[in-house]
Amino acid sequence: MSDPTNLPDTPPAFATPAVPAAGAGRKVPWLRIALGLIVAVVALMLPYYNDPETNQIFCQVMYLALAAMGLNLLTGYNGQVSLGHGAFFGIGAFTAAILTVDHGWMIEATFPVAAVLAAVVGVAIGFPALRLKGLYLALITLGLAVLFPLVVKKFVEGPGGVPLLKPKRSQVGSMVDFWADDIYRYYVCLAILAVLFLLAWNLVRGRMGRAMVAVRDQEVAASTVGIGVANVKVWSFALSAAYAGVAGAMSTYVDRTADASNPIIYFQRSIEFLIAVVIGGAATIGGPLLGAMLLVALRRRTEGTEAMAPALLGGALIIVVYVLPDGIVGGLRRLGAWIRGRTSGSAPPGAAAEPTPSSPAPSPT
Amino acid sequence: MQLFFDQVLNGIGTGAVYSSVALALVIIYRTTGLLNFAQGEMALFSTFVTWWLTDQGLGIWPALLGSMVFSFFAGALIERVIIRPVEAAKNPLNVVIVTLGLFLALNALCQLIFIKPGQEALQMPLMFPKGDISVLGLDIPKAILGRAIVLAIECAVLYVLLQKTKIGLALRAVASNPESSRLVGINPGNMLMLGWGIAAVLGAIAGTMAASRGTGGFDTSLMQQVLVYAFAAAALGGFDSPVGAVISGLIVGIARALTIQYVDFLQGIELVVPLGLIFIVLLFKPNGLFGRNIVERV
Amino acid sequence: MDTKRTPRLRRTLVLLLALVALVAASCSGRSEDTGGGGGGSEGGGGGGDGESGAVVDTADCPDTGTAGIEDGTIKLASSFPQSGLTSAFAQISKGYLAYFDKVNADGGVEVAGKKYKIEVVAKDDEYKPATTAQNIESEVGSDGTDAFAVFNVVGTANNVAIRDDLNELCVPNIFAATGSPVWGNTSYPWTIGSTLAPYTVEAKAFADYLKENKPDAKVAMLVQNDDFGKAYEEGFKQQIEGSDITVTQVKTYEAGTDEVTSEVTSLKASGADTFFNGATLLACPNALNAASDQGWDAVTFVSGTCISKTLMGIAGEAADGVFATTNIKDPLNPAFADDPAMKEYNETLAEYGASDVDPENGIVAYGYTQGALLVEILQSLDTLDRGTLMNKMYDLKDLTGGLLLDGVEVNTSPDDRFLAEDVQMIQYNAANKYFENVGDVLDFEGTTPDITPEDLIES
Repeated sequence: MSDPTNLPDTPPAFATPAVPAAGAGRKVPWLRIALGLIVAVVALMLPYYNDPETNQIFCQVMYLALAAMGLNLLTGYNGQVSLGHGAFFGIGAFTAAILTVDHGWMIEATFPVAAVLAAVVGVAIGFPALRLKGLYLALITLGLAVLFPLVVKKFVEGPGGVPLLKPKRSQVGSMVDFWADDIYRYYVCLAILAVLFLLAWNLVRGRMGRAMVAVRDQEVAASTVGIGVANVKVWSFALSAAYAGVAGAMSTYVDRTADASNPIIYFQRSIEFLIAVVIGGAATIGGPLLGAMLLVALRRRTEGTEAMAPALLGGALIIVVYVLPDGIVGGLRRLGAWIRGRTSGSAPPGAAAEPTPSSPAPSPT
Repeated sequence: MQLFFDQVLNGIGTGAVYSSVALALVIIYRTTGLLNFAQGEMALFSTFVTWWLTDQGLGIWPALLGSMVFSFFAGALIERVIIRPVEAAKNPLNVVIVTLGLFLALNALCQLIFIKPGQEALQMPLMFPKGDISVLGLDIPKAILGRAIVLAIECAVLYVLLQKTKIGLALRAVASNPESSRLVGINPGNMLMLGWGIAAVLGAIAGTMAASRGTGGFDTSLMQQVLVYAFAAAALGGFDSPVGAVISGLIVGIARALTIQYVDFLQGIELVVPLGLIFIVLLFKPNGLFGRNIVERV
Repeated sequence: MDTKRTPRLRRTLVLLLALVALVAASCSGRSEDTGGGGGGSEGGGGGGDGESGAVVDTADCPDTGTAGIEDGTIKLASSFPQSGLTSAFAQISKGYLAYFDKVNADGGVEVAGKKYKIEVVAKDDEYKPATTAQNIESEVGSDGTDAFAVFNVVGTANNVAIRDDLNELCVPNIFAATGSPVWGNTSYPWTIGSTLAPYTVEAKAFADYLKENKPDAKVAMLVQNDDFGKAYEEGFKQQIEGSDITVTQVKTYEAGTDEVTSEVTSLKASGADTFFNGATLLACPNALNAASDQGWDAVTFVSGTCISKTLMGIAGEAADGVFATTNIKDPLNPAFADDPAMKEYNETLAEYGASDVDPENGIVAYGYTQGALLVEILQSLDTLDRGTLMNKMYDLKDLTGGLLLDGVEVNTSPDDRFLAEDVQMIQYNAANKYFENVGDVLDFEGTTPDITPEDLIES
């Protein structure tokens, strides 16, 4: 696939190539189909075997995964690092909250609005972002995430005088008689997640995805072969922001809180998304979901340790990145390759795996 | 006029801290090409070490010196033990995550180790005496003058170290071309550790200065309040320019103070000003005010 | 520019503006308080529920009135920061837990002829409202069948985040631990505050002091840019209407920052001779120090949230002579050393206090007082169920207990939903490192609805 370059001045590329190196003439991947079926069945059965609190946590994993997927499209596939996705997430969260609390909308109907609004702001950021590279973009977007709650606080006055909006319990209730509220919410989240993940999967396998990766790996070269670099970048930004926006609306749906009372809350969100992308595996489809799962699991494990919690979480992150440098998906691929290597007894471990990330050493300039 | 001048001085007082942290960010960026998100929290830890030493009976200056020595080794150790193994994967995002992990962990550790339950904050002895000095008819608080002097000394020492010594030459060589520098007998690993160590020392100074302002009261949010402004300063100056970092830190500090004084409708969102400033500057000079231009090759 | 925008309209506007640009929304200035003016005190019955004299009507409630009482134990739920920056608030709980432990060791609290032990389950919310909501939902149960009542949740936004659900489930949320006037909101009868005086009462005390001692004061205010700061600003401005006292400038600072030197420089330059320092945490001593460094010799008030020994100790000399208000006996003040209530407090903390508790800390004394008052209230109930407890909360007469100052009595009624409004002025003595009580206890009982802009309560 990509050709390992070693020019010190090219922008760093991120993580592994998009799709599994499709072996020509591969047989029907029975194993994959079976695995997919099992995952689907488990995902569908899961809410029945868990209490409402656990189902809520599953939903939190899903909106985290969705936002991480959005960031993954931008950062993983297109190479633009954003620390501002917390702001897009917040735009979605407050869009959903304002429309339901003040205007009596059905919360399910606010998801598309959240997507559009976030995308519009995404475009507004994406255009000037064309001029910014790497770290500068990361910093400007970080500023966006830090600024967002302050702006909300200045202009949104919720009940009790605090910038916090809460849809009523009845507004996020079940609309299907035979499903309890939490089970219904779980399925709504699962449906949105499935649709948007399929969409992303489809996208990155298609022309747009190849263009995104090309722009990431070799911007100048991409433009010489007729890719509209600016277009691709701005579109990536808009799409990515829309995912985060939907995830934000979903968070209002699941947690019934859109909150800007804490000044660093959306900055923390931005960081969570990035963590989920990287520990899951950047530029992979499954990565954001697996990363979100692991992140939430880590957080749950360290909960109840009071002051120790952030220290343990921080330490765990460092260890995860150390053990799985190319994320969980990368780790699984290596494991798969190792097993295949063992069974066929030929290729040395690792050699059959995907090409290692093609990024050159980051240059200091 | 005195009011304007006072606010500019206030701005220099806070700006000196932004400059110091920005300088630390730039040093690490120049030697390793990384943005260290944990820079602020490393500085926070150093600040607590300074405080701990003063609590053991040392004066503030000896304590700061002790903390600087500690920070140098701790910074180098972090590079060697935590950053380098991850950097081997050649994925800059991984290093970002590790620095974010450090950010979380160090902040929590400071709270755990140094702050007793129920204590809102700690108090650092003051580095500079209170009171004003009259210069050309204008009253300048000694503390602000003191900070400006410390910043100037930092700059001078760094300049000599980077530009006039062999070690500085080696550092710069590693930064611009690690492969070739290895060929001429420089150990890039040692230089990376050195870079992190120097940055940690700058952080210790910045943190202690930040804590020791006004009342000397500080808590674990000390550097988080500073970090975004310091990032802004580093970006404004163009990440690879120490001079740019220092000047931009002062610009950001002064801009903040003047906004508070004169721009009422931005109350509460003063942060817009430095961010807007970077935004505008970067649109015209994509590598910051003082950054070098990069020619992209294919 | 039209002035009378409802928050709802404003929010919609913001949403629309967000379409255009993030920052361009600056035209929507702060609307002045519309409800002020004449006596906007709330009318008779509260929010549709208040038939038949009782504030809380349990007719529409689920049948869970006695949930959370099992095996002779009353289970209370709480949520407050236990880790991170604001973890100091966890000390409040050490105060009431010590008191409850003592009561439990003596056999428990006697309600309607039966003895009950008191148990508190509390989770860490890191001061994040969304987490608070999650914690309380899991402790109370999404159907309200687990814990009996929610007790002393810390933070205004945190309590706002849970009050809708608790209202719906008819679960008492009592002793909310902030001084926001919003706990008097008649639409939320299941939520009520604690003995922290409402912020507007503090503002009233300061205004009254000035009217008497400095009738032409020019006041500069430093407040946080949120509901907390707004209560000070609007409450104080309402109190000085018609007097010669003027406000020269109000500066807001962002919650979470403690660098306020520039704000103080600006306030000083406004020509004020009085400084209303409404800042909290480190911003408060920093502001005092900046004022002192800049040679600003002003009569100074500090927020009741700033009177802890740590913060005042940090301010040191710069805090000498500043005024504040309180309604609790300060454990640091030797004047109370022989006070029987103080002795009991110290003995209780010594015997039952957690190992990491600091009895000299004012918020421990506050927590202890809330525990003592709750026990008093429980003992006075005819039957032990949620509706009875909640109605009792609106029918407290001359209740005293804990470390409440002598002369401070807790009185509530359906028209007066604030527990303790009597306060005493205190003045800091930097040499002795504690506040000295000044003058008599100020009787503001029942006045909060009159001295507070209505939109601050009914929101």
